[in-house]
Amino acid sequence: MTKLIGQSVKRVEDKRFITGQGQYTDDIVLPGMTYAYILRSPYAHATIKSIDTAAARAMEGVVAVFTGEDIAKAGINGVPTGWQVNFKSGETMKEPPHPLLVADRVKHVGDSLAVVIAESREIAKDAADLIEIDYDVLEAVWNPADAIAADAPQVHEGAPNNICFDWELGNPKAEVDAALAGAHHVTSLDLVNQRMIPNPIEPRSAIGHFESSHDRYTLYTTSQNPHLTRLLMCAFVLGLPEHKVRVVAPDVGGGFGSKIFHYTEEALVIWASGKLGRPVKWTADRSECFTTDAHGRDHVTKAEMGFDKEGNILGLRVKTYANLGAYLSTFAPCVPTWLHGTLLQGVYTTPKINVDVTGVFTHTNAVDAYRGAGRPEATYLLERLLDTAALEMGMDPAELRLQNMIQPFDGVSQPGYMTQVALQYDSGNYQATLHRGLEMVGYEQFRQEQAEARKAGRYLGIGFSTYIEACGIAPSAVVGALGARAGLYEVGQVRVQPTGKVSVFTGAHSHGQGHETTFAQIVADTLGIGMGDVEIIHGDSESVAFGMGTYGSRSLAVGGSAIMKSLDKILEKGAKIAAHKLEAAVEDLDFAEGKWTVKGTDKSIGFGDVALTAYVPHNYPQGVEPGLDFSSFYDPANFTYPFGTHIAIVEVDPQTGKVDLKRFIAVDDVGNVINPMIVEGQIHGGLAQGIGQAMFEGALYDDGGNLINGSYMDYTMPRADDLPSFEVDRLVTPCPHNPLGVKGAGEAGAIGSTPAVVNAVMDALSPLGIFNPSMPMTPESIWRTING
Amino acid sequence: MELTGNHDISAAAQTLWNLLMDPDFLARITPGITRMEKISDDNYLAIADVKIGPVKGSFKGEVQITEKQEPEAFTLMVQQKSSIGNVAASVRIRIQELSPEKSNIQFEGKAQLSGLLARTGQRVLSGVANTLSRQFFESLEAEIKQQV
Amino acid sequence: MSTTIHVTVNGKQHTSEVEPRLLLSHYLRDVLRLTGTHIGCDTSSCGACTIHLDGKAVKSCTLLAVQADGAHITTIEGMAQGGALHPLQVGFQEEHGLQCGFCTPGMIMVAADLLDRNAQPSETEIREALEGNFCRCTGYQNIVKSIQHAADIINKKEVVS
Repeated sequence: MTKLIGQSVKRVEDKRFITGQGQYTDDIVLPGMTYAYILRSPYAHATIKSIDTAAARAMEGVVAVFTGEDIAKAGINGVPTGWQVNFKSGETMKEPPHPLLVADRVKHVGDSLAVVIAESREIAKDAADLIEIDYDVLEAVWNPADAIAADAPQVHEGAPNNICFDWELGNPKAEVDAALAGAHHVTSLDLVNQRMIPNPIEPRSAIGHFESSHDRYTLYTTSQNPHLTRLLMCAFVLGLPEHKVRVVAPDVGGGFGSKIFHYTEEALVIWASGKLGRPVKWTADRSECFTTDAHGRDHVTKAEMGFDKEGNILGLRVKTYANLGAYLSTFAPCVPTWLHGTLLQGVYTTPKINVDVTGVFTHTNAVDAYRGAGRPEATYLLERLLDTAALEMGMDPAELRLQNMIQPFDGVSQPGYMTQVALQYDSGNYQATLHRGLEMVGYEQFRQEQAEARKAGRYLGIGFSTYIEACGIAPSAVVGALGARAGLYEVGQVRVQPTGKVSVFTGAHSHGQGHETTFAQIVADTLGIGMGDVEIIHGDSESVAFGMGTYGSRSLAVGGSAIMKSLDKILEKGAKIAAHKLEAAVEDLDFAEGKWTVKGTDKSIGFGDVALTAYVPHNYPQGVEPGLDFSSFYDPANFTYPFGTHIAIVEVDPQTGKVDLKRFIAVDDVGNVINPMIVEGQIHGGLAQGIGQAMFEGALYDDGGNLINGSYMDYTMPRADDLPSFEVDRLVTPCPHNPLGVKGAGEAGAIGSTPAVVNAVMDALSPLGIFNPSMPMTPESIWRTING
Repeated sequence: MELTGNHDISAAAQTLWNLLMDPDFLARITPGITRMEKISDDNYLAIADVKIGPVKGSFKGEVQITEKQEPEAFTLMVQQKSSIGNVAASVRIRIQELSPEKSNIQFEGKAQLSGLLARTGQRVLSGVANTLSRQFFESLEAEIKQQV
Repeated sequence: MSTTIHVTVNGKQHTSEVEPRLLLSHYLRDVLRLTGTHIGCDTSSCGACTIHLDGKAVKSCTLLAVQADGAHITTIEGMAQGGALHPLQVGFQEEHGLQCGFCTPGMIMVAADLLDRNAQPSETEIREALEGNFCRCTGYQNIVKSIQHAADIINKKEVVS
């Protein structure tokens, strides 16, 4: 039988999507359904003097109108935060409430004020127009650097100077200061990692369905994380018994982080459904997505790196102001701290590192994990420093990297690499990806072309990024010590049916990643059965025991490993049954090609026969329970650390500032690979988002705190004709600590690519000076960079 | 959003002043305004329909005239609400008589937008505002010619 | 105040009473329950709702249902004929042209229109044809390959016949 692992097996889930039979949340219609429309604040900061809902309530077809007062009266808490970061002083971070509907003071454009529930979406919307709200508009602040000023408008009472926390990691600052003071050269960069809007093409949607016959609630929601949503909603927001609440995340049209979190609307539709005894559906329009889906990035950073005369890195000092928005989203405090500061070792031997982060509240929508989450911000500042330093010191950027890289180690015969910033890398061969990248790009030849182009007045440039990331979150005890309020293991159940067909229940959630294929490949190969005999079930809290969802490139490394643990148990028990049937000892059996064989004989029994025996245990080993169904929780021993080299080649027209991305080369090492086609697809998608950040995307605010590019007409995402075909390759350094040897591939593209493109533009323009281009590198922004 | 501009109109300052203080006249020549009602002296209720690309809405709110220096200058305070967002604007208008038949009207001010109006197409709105003000002055000129 | 419209969708005739303001995209999804046509935005920018109206690809959110009176409409549900997938559907699966699947129906409908007009489009022509459709998952590269794959299938068939 051909091995499936390592093959580009075509995706089994595609059939429903290419025929229009996918079932996304908004596709679901339940009998007696009502429709919710949420009235949102048009102001970033205002007190509510009065709300008059009488006209809306009186409209025909309106079922109910609820306001913040109703929520407060019902004693409903706000949505909680799942991660606690402490001040340097040890004081707990400021954690202001995030109510489902606001009664007194709105804190960002899009803050929820009232919900209208009606017989149709149109009626709900029309009725919401009739709600009269009298506001007292107040000054707002949107920039984190401005928000900490003494006279800045305050977002929350009890969070003075809008500071949520201050935090540091690494070596004592005095040591890093000394290292930089003694350096031959210090490269210093002021960087803005602009606010990104995740923009999955499917808008968020939630349906609450209360069935009084069973006192049971069902939430259908666009979530990457249905079990955690259920836990947070039941235990912290609504106080509902968890066993009476089912959460289903059906087909989900992309997430990129923004659908990890527990949102107010989910709790709102469940609560309203309970009040009304009818299903309540809410679906965001795109404009709502722009102002209420958690955004990403938004760091203002000063980064300084010191070098000796030979170009060896001596130290790194980083000060970041991280915009958290008005409310703390589910994982918000963790992103700019533990997912950012811990990655500042990069792939380099930097001996002294200090990172200091201030988390800041502003009158903007919440910021949380967006593809890469913290790691792109770390990679951006490190890789920008490296290429800038090379240019400033007159060194080759590839050589400077090779000189400072951590030597290869496999994590088995050689130990993992301990960083200055709390992590131990699992295994790596960073040089190999850079060498392969240089080969693919034809580096020497490119430099010659570049020199000739410069003579001809053309500005060609090359930019590098040799990134590393931490995936496969996470060892629960480690993240618990760092402030996580949840474990981050995963659950995998393998249920062998009596006929030998296999149902697999995973706590990971696929919203494009292709788990139904990749996981089935693992199961089919391990059990020696066909792909068609395996079904992967996910996204439903009623069938899947528990789960921590999909984000942080964790599904295969953690969720796949949980399935592997259950498969081991299946095979162990299966061997006992087989041994009994074959009248042999377990030790004398081999399992291969879907059957147990007595070594050195032709006596064998197939997997299907063993399964049937387990469910019809007439002739059965003593002391063995019937059935063949195992569930496992897998808690990883460490994070996984994918890495790679991304190289961009651009041509810039200094007259217009237009950047032409001519080539993009990506060599990624994500450990072992189950399905190369799917991994490559993940890399492509990540690259498009990372390049999107470098060249096109970014939220813009006016002085009133309005997002002024809050639509697809105004916010520029890459379209098909904005991107080149990427040149990608892979190398394999297996992960030493999980059974599959995999590291994760979902975020690599978005983490590595951004600085490569910006570095390439800097290199292209270097005959005119050493510039620090700001993102997104629109023609206007580049023109201004050149012309001051 | 900044609002600035100026325009020459073939009328004396006092004539212009009188016209600009007449709500019916204003309602007739201002693009988008469908109705203006006097609430009290220098205080009007205005109803307008505006469409910018996919953004379309009916606005309702107050227009106030303050800081009057007849016939040279006044300030328009506009508060308009709609389901697609609100507008708060303050515009200083100066009338400089160039000759008995000709005056220059200059305006300068700021508009604060909110809601859908602010986040969809705000960056093209200053262009829209320029078009609307040009239409206003063209209508004003045409009305004056007719009256003469 | 509703209006009666007659439309043929995927070969089937429908007569419906619709409100004048009902968008065609909502008509297909909510009235006919053809939920393969997706809605991703409110500014006619994303293309997820693309269908064929009298043989041409159009974004169904740019039309009112009443404007489609008398029209022949094809949606993603009507692309497979007699149990056989359309070459584009085959291409998208073979070349991994989709991940979350949300933009996919619109992509396929636009690509079908392109291949009707241009049987052997270049990569540049394909990328330009997709300019009105967002995909946030794939980076477009495999969508381009999927369409080339479909073009190859169609062209081979024509050579054979």
